Amino acid sequence: MSYHFGRGWSKLTPYLLLLPGLFFYFLISLGPSIATFFFSFTDATGIKGAPVNWIGFDNYREFLFMGRASIDNLDALKRTLIFSFVVTTVQFALGLLVALIVNQKLKFTNIFRTIYFMPVILGVVIQGLMWSLFLYPLGGPMAKLLALFGMRSEFLGGQPAEAFAWVIFVQIWANMGITMMIFIAGLQTIPVELYEAARIDGANAWQVFKNVTWPLLTPSVNTNLLLNAIGSLQAWQLFLVLLGYRNGTQVLGYLIYATGFGQTSGSVTSTFRQGYAAAASIVLFLLVLVIGMTLQTFLQRREKRILG
Amino acid sequence: MSKKISIVLSLMVVFATLLAACGTPQATATESAQPQGEKPAQKVTLRVLVHQNPPMVAFMESFNKQFQERHPEITVDMSVVNANDLSTVSQTRLSANDIDVLDIFGFANAVQPYMKQADPPNWQQLIEAGLLMDLTGQDFVQNYDANAIKDAGTYNGKVYAVNLGRVVYSGIYYNKKLFEQYNVKVPTTWQELVTACEIFKAANIPCMTAGGKDGWPIFVGAYGLLGAIYPDQAALVEGLWTGKIKWNDEKSLEMWRKMQVYARDMMEEGASGIAGDAAPGRFASGAVAMFPGGSWYAPAIEAAQPDFDWGYIPFPGSDNPEDNKYWFGKYDQGWAIAANTPNKDAALLYLKEFSEPANYQAFVDAVGFIPTQPTAKLNTKIGAEIAPYLANFRVGYEQYWVAPKGAGQYANPWASYFKPFGTFDDPVELANKVQEDLQAGLDAVK
Amino acid sequence: MSTQTASKFKSRRIPWDVIGSYLVMIFFALLYIGPILMLVNTSLKTTPSFMKDATSLATELHFENFREAWIKANFPRYLLNSILYTFSATIIYILTAVFVAFPIARGYVKYSGVILTLFVIALFLPPALIPQFQLILNLGLYNNPIGYILLFLVNPIGIVILVNYIKTIPKELDEAAAIDGCGYARFVWTIVLPLIRPAVATVIVLHAIGIWNEVIAPTIYLTNKNYYPITRGLIVFQGVYGSNWPTLAAAVLLLTLPMLVLFLFLQRYIVSGLTAGSVKG
Repeated sequence: MSYHFGRGWSKLTPYLLLLPGLFFYFLISLGPSIATFFFSFTDATGIKGAPVNWIGFDNYREFLFMGRASIDNLDALKRTLIFSFVVTTVQFALGLLVALIVNQKLKFTNIFRTIYFMPVILGVVIQGLMWSLFLYPLGGPMAKLLALFGMRSEFLGGQPAEAFAWVIFVQIWANMGITMMIFIAGLQTIPVELYEAARIDGANAWQVFKNVTWPLLTPSVNTNLLLNAIGSLQAWQLFLVLLGYRNGTQVLGYLIYATGFGQTSGSVTSTFRQGYAAAASIVLFLLVLVIGMTLQTFLQRREKRILG
Repeated sequence: MSKKISIVLSLMVVFATLLAACGTPQATATESAQPQGEKPAQKVTLRVLVHQNPPMVAFMESFNKQFQERHPEITVDMSVVNANDLSTVSQTRLSANDIDVLDIFGFANAVQPYMKQADPPNWQQLIEAGLLMDLTGQDFVQNYDANAIKDAGTYNGKVYAVNLGRVVYSGIYYNKKLFEQYNVKVPTTWQELVTACEIFKAANIPCMTAGGKDGWPIFVGAYGLLGAIYPDQAALVEGLWTGKIKWNDEKSLEMWRKMQVYARDMMEEGASGIAGDAAPGRFASGAVAMFPGGSWYAPAIEAAQPDFDWGYIPFPGSDNPEDNKYWFGKYDQGWAIAANTPNKDAALLYLKEFSEPANYQAFVDAVGFIPTQPTAKLNTKIGAEIAPYLANFRVGYEQYWVAPKGAGQYANPWASYFKPFGTFDDPVELANKVQEDLQAGLDAVK
Repeated sequence: MSTQTASKFKSRRIPWDVIGSYLVMIFFALLYIGPILMLVNTSLKTTPSFMKDATSLATELHFENFREAWIKANFPRYLLNSILYTFSATIIYILTAVFVAFPIARGYVKYSGVILTLFVIALFLPPALIPQFQLILNLGLYNNPIGYILLFLVNPIGIVILVNYIKTIPKELDEAAAIDGCGYARFVWTIVLPLIRPAVATVIVLHAIGIWNEVIAPTIYLTNKNYYPITRGLIVFQGVYGSNWPTLAAAVLLLTLPMLVLFLFLQRYIVSGLTAGSVKG
């Protein structure tokens, strides 16, 4: 494309100003990621001064095919996908619903908006502590509520599947506010005249949503879906805060951290296996890449079809 | 507008630099060039890392104060991390040469010749990478029991850590008042334990509590069951690796059946919500009859309710009282020094003073360890409770166990796999699953 | 049929849709406020009273917990650190990001397609914890706020959002500005930046949230307690002083209050940031 801001040397200005950003990107993000790739073919421990040997595909072989551990790894992978799918879809749907409601011209919507966005501000540690307390099995509020129906549960410390479901719940609870805000942003870009026109045409609420709101919301839909899908594939901090490293609840992100930094069993004498952890992160990368790219291609096509 | 932003920005940078300049620990490499033996005259900040254990942290704070008073040129900067994070933080801080003295657990989980393709434990990795200082021949090492130094701090004939004490984890604390009130006999057999729990439960008193939120306390609580069946825990580990012992053989099945009773019927409802460090408080509140857990909880129980009357007995895992007279435990905390420390003299001085018999005795009294200095005495209440069977102390299974690569995540004898903490309802099914997960690893490394 | 519905809408006395809206909003609000109320209640109890009955109303109003939490932890410092890290990293990031995104969107640099692809791929990169740690170590920035801030100067999704948004701004603008004698840097700074404010605001909010919430990086990179951000400070507080719920709850509230005040203060910007899309339309 033609450049209008001067000739000769001054043509280099964009490059010059681009450099810092690009430099940080290579330094902090791409460089280390490429290094991770190489690490994944070694038996690196991450300990300074320890020898590092090239061991080819051994880490991958172990991660994907060795014994029962590989099946556990694949379970963690499956769990990552389930977590991501449920979180993405439910958070998307609730965020949209709530955005539509609080975007109406009603009183107090601002207060409600603020309340829903609050967990984002408090951060993941406080979110975790809050819910650990709310789900305290020894007479906590939720335990009392269940007791009214003659039920009891260990919540986060009990059945892995249930604990996992609670993490999903808290994840959605915590981040729905962001989704909602992005949708509100999108909703406010839709010109009021379009709604008026639709109403004059006699469209009911559902028809207005289907024919006006939904198509014009496409950019927000895309942003939200991509953010949620990629974010939730890599999110595991809440697992750390709420559950710790427990059988039947691990997701890939946590598995990588735990094996890389020697926290797999909660035992204080476990080993550091950063080469192996690097291989696991490359697997996660490929997974996220495939899903993310597919999703993005799909969303872009859809956007082109709808918005031209 | 751009002016404003650039002002804000430069302020930020200045601020960050200031923070960095003012806050960095003052120990720098320049102070390392001290001649050996002489007292360091320059200001030194000694960076010490310990894991969280409230009575120990409290003791260390007073010890540090005393140490700084005696050596005004040394400032002790102690950081405390959760036990789970200790290995991670040790590793990163050693790699960054950001630590002088560190807390390290007794050397365990060494790879045995029959363990194929197993990775060395982290302490061995750290030593092989040259990150821990060789303490062989230091005077203060002589203060400790030679066996403890050899078992818990020596590698390839060199001493890298002095271990500060053993702990027992196969015992049960019991509430004396409740036992008297309901006329319950202090159990010496499994059957008596079952009966005791039934009596308490009938009286609407939860039988046992444990810090289930941290996971491992539920397992540790049932340690007596494992010990009663396999008194020789090193042989158990070898047997599992060589296939002579299986988690689903008849003998092990007995353990699983009892573990289920323990997890399902003895442990109180909601125990999974109690963090490991909150469990002593729960027990000391007097609401629960028993608390299976390690001897290190004793100071916390005493701190929570000083006039609360408790006792400590071995977990009776067997129906034969003679089998229940063992303690299983491990070497707990120890001290090591970073090999590349710029403050070598100060670090050695720190350990030397800590190891002086009077200081060491105070430490053991505070934390309730079984001392590793032969001259130290078991003064504590928990010490007195442990003493009768101290001759029968054995190092526990998980100090020997190294899982074969490829083993599944269930390849452990953990009671928490049972409902309500886990998914299993049937001991046979669980035993088969555990053995299958182990076997997968054994087959993979064959 | 649709006309019928429309007329129904008008004739209806009871505004069911409004009532329904409020019911939904209140239901969700309860989900958000409930855990906080529990936190408040717990923070006012004594430990024995909590151990006896976790949910019963605090009758003793044991404010001692707050005093204890306040004395034991250096919360103002943590809060200040969190704010400092979040603000400085976000500002530096957004400045560099705009100058990356603009020439890519316009094609003013060679291989802009390739560069964009690099950033898109970076979206999916898993955090490279291990090499990053080695990097910071070798730069001598371990346990150093500058090193910590450095970690947060990259965020590929921000670039992608910006590029997409800049593409919607007509290119004729560049030409016109250039003819008026406006230089490149000044053009981006004074003309493009205000035009893409909604996108910039969104990116700032997303990026800041990420830094604010970081748990792992402070564990790995910051060992001096004077550098801890809130997240790490709280975990360490729990680690050192134990999981005594009443004190812990008091500590959480002590941290929550200034954050909420800060949020209420900034909310106008955050909300308008994320919703500023309305400027365009």
